[in-house]
Amino acid sequence: MTQSYRIETGGLINRNKKISFKFNGVTYFGYEGDTLASALLANGVHLVGRSFKYHRPRGFFGAGVDEPYAVVQLYRNGETEPNIKATEQELFEGLEASSVNCWPSVNFDIGAINNFLKIFLPAGFYYKTFMWPKSFWYKIYEPFIRKAAGLGVASTKHDKERYEHKYEYCDFLIVGSGPSGLASAYSAAKNGAKVILAEDKPRYGGSLLTSDVNIGNQSGKDWADGIISELKEMPNVSVKNRSQVFGYYDHNMLVMSEKVSDHLPKTKKYHPNKRLWYIRAKEVLISSGSIERPIVFGNNDTPGVMLSSAAKEYLKVYGVLVGKKPLVFTNNDSGYETAIEFKKHGVDSIVLDSRSNPQSEIIDEAKNLGINIKNSYVVVAAQGYKKVKSADVATISEDKKTLGKIENIICDCICVSGFWTPTIHLASQSGNKTKFNEEIDAFVPGVSKQNESTLGAANGVFTLEETLKTSFDKGKELSKKITEKDNEVSIPNVVEKKYSKHDKFWCVPLPKGKNYKRFLDFQNDVAVSDVEIALREGYRSIEHVKRYTTLGMATDQGKTSNLNGLQLVSEIENKVVPSVGHTTFRPPYTPISIGAIVGREVGKHSKPTRKSPIHNWHEEHNAVFVDAGVWLRPRYYKKGNETLFEASKREAKNVRTNVGVCDVTTLGKIDVKGPDAAEFLNRVYTNAWLKLPVGKARYGVMLREDGVVMDDGTTTRISENHYHMTTTTAQAANVLSHLEYYLQLVWPELNVNVVSTTEQWAGAAIAGPKSRDLLKKLFPKTDVSNEGLPFMGYVEGDLFGVKARIFRISFSGELAYEVNVESDNGRFMWEKIIELGEEFQIQPYGTEALSTLRIEMGHVAGSELDGRTIPYDNALEGLLSKKKDFIGKRSLRRTAFVAEDRQRIVGVVPLDKKTSIPEGSHLVKDASAPLPNKKLGHISASCWSVEHDNPFSLAILKDGKNMIGEKLFVMSPLKNKVIPVEIVSSHYVDPKGERVRS
Amino acid sequence: MSSISALNNVHSKGQFGDFEGKDDKNLLSISETTNLLIVQIVQYKSSNSSLDNMQVDGLNLEDNPSSVSSNDNTRILWNGPRNWFLVSKKKEILNEIEKKFNDNEFAVTDISHSKVIIEIEGKEAKEVLKKGCPYNFGELEKNQCLNSTYNGMSVTIDMVNDDPDKFRIFGLRSFGESLYHSITDASLEFGYIAK
Amino acid sequence: MRSQNEFSYGGDATVKRPEINKEVTDQEWDNFVYNRVSPRGKHLELWQHLSGCRQWIKVERDTATHEIFNTYKANEEIA
Repeated sequence: MTQSYRIETGGLINRNKKISFKFNGVTYFGYEGDTLASALLANGVHLVGRSFKYHRPRGFFGAGVDEPYAVVQLYRNGETEPNIKATEQELFEGLEASSVNCWPSVNFDIGAINNFLKIFLPAGFYYKTFMWPKSFWYKIYEPFIRKAAGLGVASTKHDKERYEHKYEYCDFLIVGSGPSGLASAYSAAKNGAKVILAEDKPRYGGSLLTSDVNIGNQSGKDWADGIISELKEMPNVSVKNRSQVFGYYDHNMLVMSEKVSDHLPKTKKYHPNKRLWYIRAKEVLISSGSIERPIVFGNNDTPGVMLSSAAKEYLKVYGVLVGKKPLVFTNNDSGYETAIEFKKHGVDSIVLDSRSNPQSEIIDEAKNLGINIKNSYVVVAAQGYKKVKSADVATISEDKKTLGKIENIICDCICVSGFWTPTIHLASQSGNKTKFNEEIDAFVPGVSKQNESTLGAANGVFTLEETLKTSFDKGKELSKKITEKDNEVSIPNVVEKKYSKHDKFWCVPLPKGKNYKRFLDFQNDVAVSDVEIALREGYRSIEHVKRYTTLGMATDQGKTSNLNGLQLVSEIENKVVPSVGHTTFRPPYTPISIGAIVGREVGKHSKPTRKSPIHNWHEEHNAVFVDAGVWLRPRYYKKGNETLFEASKREAKNVRTNVGVCDVTTLGKIDVKGPDAAEFLNRVYTNAWLKLPVGKARYGVMLREDGVVMDDGTTTRISENHYHMTTTTAQAANVLSHLEYYLQLVWPELNVNVVSTTEQWAGAAIAGPKSRDLLKKLFPKTDVSNEGLPFMGYVEGDLFGVKARIFRISFSGELAYEVNVESDNGRFMWEKIIELGEEFQIQPYGTEALSTLRIEMGHVAGSELDGRTIPYDNALEGLLSKKKDFIGKRSLRRTAFVAEDRQRIVGVVPLDKKTSIPEGSHLVKDASAPLPNKKLGHISASCWSVEHDNPFSLAILKDGKNMIGEKLFVMSPLKNKVIPVEIVSSHYVDPKGERVRS
Repeated sequence: MSSISALNNVHSKGQFGDFEGKDDKNLLSISETTNLLIVQIVQYKSSNSSLDNMQVDGLNLEDNPSSVSSNDNTRILWNGPRNWFLVSKKKEILNEIEKKFNDNEFAVTDISHSKVIIEIEGKEAKEVLKKGCPYNFGELEKNQCLNSTYNGMSVTIDMVNDDPDKFRIFGLRSFGESLYHSITDASLEFGYIAK
Repeated sequence: MRSQNEFSYGGDATVKRPEINKEVTDQEWDNFVYNRVSPRGKHLELWQHLSGCRQWIKVERDTATHEIFNTYKANEEIA
């Protein structure tokens, strides 16, 4: 198929490389260097999609980031991605794309019925419709809206691309490679500063690619090419194209998204598709340019109506005519550039200038070329449904309120220019309070809050000469402060045409009797009439108008609509634009791929995992793992087809009958040393520590300052000034920070060092009546008899050549020991325990059995120490020293904490001895009482008691100490259970604690 | 008796990533370092002893952020105010340390088994680090160290050499597999040899 | 200058814990444990450099704008 709108020669595309692609199933041809948009336009394709709400036919409006219509579904390398702008997607061989928001096709779209129903679908209709009857919502309205809505389809396949992150630092981050970016980068780089120059598009040069200027006797583009070549050679400069700086954050950090392979048919293996850069810059120079502002008139969304600068860009950069009978509608001199460019390629256009008598160099040039210019003329409405066929035009009075007689001009495209809107998003995000510039009728950056400056068009400076001078100077001045170098940079001579004043006019009035839709926000279908409704209904603040009408809320974030919207609101309210204000700019500047944000934190490695040194043995022996924070711990060891319940019952029973071994490496271990270590422990724990003998361990409880139990553990005196503290797995990090807090901030006079040794030692708990027998086999040379190693004792031993620490402590309530060896030897220790334990019927046990054992013993753990309970609640008041002060002691005097009927831990057994009690359920006096039923307590932990062979739970119950023997009810509305229960002592097994001392 | 290092079963030798067509010299090299003595030495606040004459393996303890004193066998890394990590191939110097640094003024703790140590060498080594660690590596020089995070895991990074750049990355042992994955994954783009 | 994710927030730095073993009134203790001023603007906070030197530091930060004015060591006197 011929590219009938491609000019014979010219443009910056590579005509040597022809590319084939498909759009909506039809094959077309383009060239390397095209965007999907330019290639489609070259082939005469103008209908690209259907508008969001009314399903009106839509074409191309812009040539880049400002595009509101041409959002397509892209297919690349077997994957699909929605929300791709055709004006930003570079063409690659085999590219496939399709229109969105239309069914069955963009040409014949059933959704267009919305267009005819539009009087019923004004702004704010979302809030007024689909409300009644209420029951219709789920079955009828919601599915309908779901089907009708959406700009594309998300892939349900796993994303195979790699996305990476990078942290980078520099002296200068310069955003945009137009004239201001290039000039400032150059002078900063010449002073030796470390510069990152970021350009969103594949080509460098910005406006120099399309403007007709001369810099130092070269064309603007040639000058730009020269600067880029020089910059690329400098080792202190990094020049990045296809990289958009989309967000400005605190402390001069900005984030940039680099499109590494979107312009290629396939991403290179092992390489990322996108790279997100977190850049911290000493100075930021924003040279983001400006975006052309449209003029609003009837049916201005018809395919073929586009920004005049876009028409110029398609011609100069891509060699594509957007029409062969163009009409240029302008309120300033820019429109003439487009007309002149058309003329250079043999296409005559008609220029409608809203101004009555503008005079300037460029208008003279246009006149000399014989271009037809009509002053005081406006476009009243575009005519044509799927494409512009003609335009209704008229003269307009000086006060811009009265239209003359309507005339019709045949044309196939309308190129609109309403002057320029500086791109101030990044400056605004940085905290810069932008201000309204009356001369250009737009917002520009005001006072900087961070180290940033805006240069060139983004700062409202539209002359090249001034832009180059200020940019060269800025780069030099700021870099001198950083590198202390002061190299001269000669500023080249500039030849450009001077512009005359623009017309302060952006909205063509409606002719009598006509009700044309005049669109403000092209992507969200927000028209002038919608904003008028919002204001009539009382919405005043621009933030409210925005949200009520959805003006500026689409994926283009109002780039071509915000200012016109503001202008309209201010006119209607008879205020000035600056007092109306603008809505807050938030990152990202344009849509960013979620994959890029996620980076490499995907799948198995989406978060780090911690594994014990014995982990592989557990894996090899059918352990089923459970997440304990970031750790992986064996939950149970599966034999045959066992369920969790069967396995944990078997393991727990075996501990009570023979001997079991459990990997307890994950529990926190803190090495405490120093002449003041004992005193420190005494202040941190509730019980007494000064007299703990060397070689002895003691159970300790530590509180928060508000009296709530923070953690419990066993601390052993290894030598005079050396202690080994243990904590729970969950609190290990918190306890360490807690101790460091007190040592550094509160009691800096204490000489104590705390350091985590959780990872230094692998730990195995050996528990059960036969545990001493096994220990004797493991340590034949050490006296581990009841006298040699009494309860809560500690000795060091030799495990077949490996140094070991042996603690006689018990979590399970059975006779038990904990053996620690240095981690490299962890697996060796474990295998020795299993090997020598065989004769004693040893079985490994996991966290499920571990829980069972401690629950039926009544030992508290995380589920009771839940951040709300004090020592008394956990039956630990015996550990509160009356003589010394400790952290949290003062809070224990609170009235609620000393109340007579204070809650306390109890045991709970179902009357039928069969029904399991869900954790978290409530205890009440009478299950049949009317709601609200007073809650007396809650179930904190449940298990199957292997000792008694029935369900058993621990609970925190009001007035617990007086409730033993009471019959209550457990209610779990979530699990729909009501269970009659009896309250018993929490020490369901071995209440006298005889086994541990055996 | 068999001892097992942190990356046992995790680190395996070979060439990985985009290594094709590249000279071995141009690839990154990644290996696990094991069998080192790692000791934390902390001087208590009330201690006024001068460190000038207290040397271990001929090296001084410098109380300067990021400083590393080193010789072929031993490197002493600054870990905080009056807080050092001593890393050495000579395991026997633990005795020397315990004798020199008395326990009234110093806390000496052996943490040799608590770390996973990954060594990465090559001209793109800094680029690999930049992918996961927010530190300004442009300013890191040979014989300097820092504590930071890599993909969320706390690490100590010791710049052992330059030309080509060589780093030792210390992480907590239990994070070994995750840290190794992060580092090697970040190296795929450049191609690496696991030694 | 370090990235925020190396640090962990630890509370209000203007609060001083009463001396150990010293008796305080209920009000004094409540003020220490619970009562806090929550200013919009400059505020002195505690942060621990968890993934760094593990030192606690005091940071003077604007709670509305995140601007950081000063940092102090744990026991540095603040003018």
